[in-house]
Formats: sequence, C-alpha cells, structure tokens
Amino acid sequence: MTAYSKPLPTISSLNRPYWEGLKRHELVMQRCGDCGKIWYPPAPFCPECWSRAVTWQKLSGRGKVNSWVVFHQAYFPSFKDDIPYNVAEVELAEGPRLLTNLVGVDRTEMRVGLPVEVVFDDVTEEITLAKFRPVRQLS
Amino acid sequence: MPVWDLRDRAAVCGVGHSPYGRRLNRSAIDLAGEAIRGALDDAGLRRDDLDGLIVSFGTPIGADADTLAQVLGLKLRVYNQTWAHGRFTASCIQWAAMAVNAGLANYIACLAAVSFSGLRKPMMGGAGDTEGAREAGGGHGEDPVFGMTSPGAGAALVAQKYFSRYGATSRQLAAVAVAFRKHASLNPAAIMREPITVDDHQNSRFVCEPLHLLDYCLINDGAACVLVTTAERARDLQKPPVYISGMQGLPAGREEFIWAYPGFGVSQQAMFDYEPGLQPVYQMAGVTPQDIDALFTYDAFSILAWMALERFGFCRPGEAAAFTQDGRIELGGKLPMNTNGGLLSEAHVMGWNHQVEIVRQLRGECGVRQITNAQVIQWANAYGDSLIYRRG
Repeated sequence: MTAYSKPLPTISSLNRPYWEGLKRHELVMQRCGDCGKIWYPPAPFCPECWSRAVTWQKLSGRGKVNSWVVFHQAYFPSFKDDIPYNVAEVELAEGPRLLTNLVGVDRTEMRVGLPVEVVFDDVTEEITLAKFRPVRQLS
Repeated sequence: MPVWDLRDRAAVCGVGHSPYGRRLNRSAIDLAGEAIRGALDDAGLRRDDLDGLIVSFGTPIGADADTLAQVLGLKLRVYNQTWAHGRFTASCIQWAAMAVNAGLANYIACLAAVSFSGLRKPMMGGAGDTEGAREAGGGHGEDPVFGMTSPGAGAALVAQKYFSRYGATSRQLAAVAVAFRKHASLNPAAIMREPITVDDHQNSRFVCEPLHLLDYCLINDGAACVLVTTAERARDLQKPPVYISGMQGLPAGREEFIWAYPGFGVSQQAMFDYEPGLQPVYQMAGVTPQDIDALFTYDAFSILAWMALERFGFCRPGEAAAFTQDGRIELGGKLPMNTNGGLLSEAHVMGWNHQVEIVRQLRGECGVRQITNAQVIQWANAYGDSLIYRRG
C-alpha cells in the first residue's frame, strides 16, 4: 500500500477532540452548555454568548449539500489522478457547515439540498476524514 | 455625525503604475519603485516629500514595506503593510486618509506590487500556499485536506449557491467577463485586449466548476500606487484633487464570508434575505447609489461583481444576474463597471489598478473610455468595504 500523499490537517489544542472523535468514527463538535449553540470551527469559548461551559457532543452525521464544486485543475500533485473531483459544503442537521468530499455519488446526482450522511475514511493510522454519501432510501 | 468628519478631507493627489504583464522579469520591489515614482511625478512632488507608506498585499508574496523603505531611500514617519491577501485596498486608503488628517504624515504612498511570475508556482493554491494552512482553514474557504484549494474555489462555491438559490446561469455570468474585456480592449495598459463573446466564455475550460477560465482574473506582474494627502494640500498641487468623500470599513465575523454578503448562507453564515439599507459609505459621502456614475469592484472572479451590486443595494439579492445584462455595466450603460478592464482583463494588482482608473476618470484623463462628466465614483466590494471618490 502506498503512503497517503494528500495534505493532512494541522492538529491544534483547539481541534484535537474533533480529530480524536473522527478516529473513533464519531463526528463530534463543541456545544455551549448555556445557550445550546453547536458550532464549527472549534473555538476557545462559545462564539454566541462567550460562555466557557463548552462540551464536545456527538452529532447525527446527517445533513444536506449546501453548495458544491468540481475541480478540473490539480493544485496538489496528489489530487491529480482524482481530477475531476468534487468538494462539497455540507450543512449538518445541527447547523454547522463542513467542507468535504462526496463519495458514492454520481455526477448527475449532485445538487444543492441533496441529503447526505457521514462516512469515515481512515486515510492514515492517525487521521480519519469525515466524508459524506447520499442518503439512500431503503426499498 | 462622528466627532471627526472626514468627508472630502483627504484626497488623492497622484497616481502611478508600472507596466502590467504576464512575465515582466522584474521583481516586486522594482515594479513598486516605478509606481511610486510615477505617482510622485503625477503630483509634482519629490521623494523627500513622501513621509508615509502603506503596502497592500505585502510580505511574503508582494513587495515588502521594510525593503521598499530601505532600497528607495525613503524617510518615513508612518508606514504599515497588510499580509499577502487582496481585499485591503480600501482599508489602506482609509488608514492613509485618517493619518494625513491626524498630522501623522503629509503624503502617504499606498500601493500593491507583485511579481507572480517570479514566485514558486504552487503559491496560489498549492503546497507553497500559506492561505490554506491557517488553523481553521484559509481566508477564501480553503481546506486542502479535501482538495479545496485556491481563492477561486470559494468563489465557485458561492456561484453554485447563487445559481441554485436564484435560478441564474453561467451564461448570464458571462456578461461580466464580456463587459470588462470590452473595456480592456480600449485600454492600452491592459494585458488581455482581445474582445470575447458569451460563447467564448461558455467554451472556456472549467477551472473549478461552475466557474470557467474566463470567470477567473489574471495572474501577472505589476504595481500601482495612489498618493494620499489632505484635501488642503491636494488643492495646491499640479493635478486636480480627487476627494475621498465616503469610507466604509472592512467587516469580519461569522456572518461574513470573503466572497458573499451576510445572509447568503455559505461558510458559517446564516441564510436570510439580505437588506442592505443605505450603507454607511453613502451616508458619509451624502449620496445614494443613484448618484454613482461608475462602480469599481474587486473582480478576482466574475461572480464578485454580482455580489457587490447586491451588497450595496444597486439591485436586490438575486437580481444582479439580470441587472448585468444588455450592456448596463458597460461604458455607455447606466452603471459602467471596471472601465479599466478589472482584474479579469486589465491586470491583477489587487484593486490598485482600479483606484488609478477611478482617479483618472474623475480627472477626465481616460480618452476613448472616458465616462462623460464623471463626478462620483465608488469602489465597493463583495466583502463589504467601500470608498466614494468625488471630482475636485
């Protein structure tokens, strides 16, 4: 197996719980114990009311596509073989939006409002990425 | 009324620029020197008159302010630089307008200078791009982990959302690129002067879909400089003053995304029906959008022209697609925009080439692309800052 060559996230004191959650295959974000707001990216305290009563909470992993693009140009050599590849901005059911790649989706299905759910992609031993796939109705 | 009313209290007294080109084989400092020298000559001033310098898009990509002061032998009382990101054009001029009126300096050169051709290639979007490596993602919504990289990608995200939310099309967006290219064809300084059609736009390759190559600005070499002083001093110089009548600061926060106004609903913005009201820049200048003879905007990507028009109330959200059709934003139209050709077709000098054009339009120096009897011209951007200039 060849080594993963795409850019990896920068882990900081603020975002470490987010990445540790993904490693456990859980999508977690910060939640304010006072006003109830859930937000992303991670903040030192609640960006709404500045409360310090912040906890990390597991989210549903459900959301919808808020917008999306398709790259026809490779800016990193490691993405060259993926061209054309998609990047989507997913709006989670809990509110925050995440940039991600959609997997298991046909180009013709891509649309604003498409319901999606998280899938966990273990790209290295340490790093798992939250990607999303269309929610398929059970027949 | 603010304690310190600056309407028409600062003025541009000189403008200058280097040649613009895809590959000039000249460093940013070299180009900056030419632009500063040009602006001083335009004003009839000498080097020793210059006691302030504000560099936009400075280190690590553009000309560095520290180096400029050294190698040009300047004696500065005030200087500053913004990091290497567009978007600070109005901010720099605002700081200069305040500084000259506070007596901190007499003449402040505000400029950007860049030699993109002399940089390592991956700087705009690749491995050498410091933008995407910020702690919580890049300033244009970059996230290299998912291959979301380059400033244009965030603009593409906005364009897709716009098309979906308002039923607009890429074909309508072509009108912006076509108009600015038409203007560039009348501008000897412009890099791209060959007129284009809507079909040329539609047939150009996708870079980050839904944006085509012709929705993207140029990447080039060049420098442009604006000399700011007090209105009083400007009246005694050789060129007619161009007054800075209104100013509006650069907003930031969760409701802002660099390429979209509040309520648009990208990045972490809430989604709601945006109502601009009469923006502060108009209140300061004592005018309304109906008084604006021409509008200039940071057109790194064509979609930004739509966002600027809606943000400042020239039309309602969702209406810019129709507003920009049928020559309305072309010379001779109701609201000419970017008569220099903009970043899309004249050159990418971070909006400083636009300031040069605004000043020349208000002095009546633009020849075949002169706007008849231009009195009031606005610089206003998708990201919310603005300047209103008035003929002296």
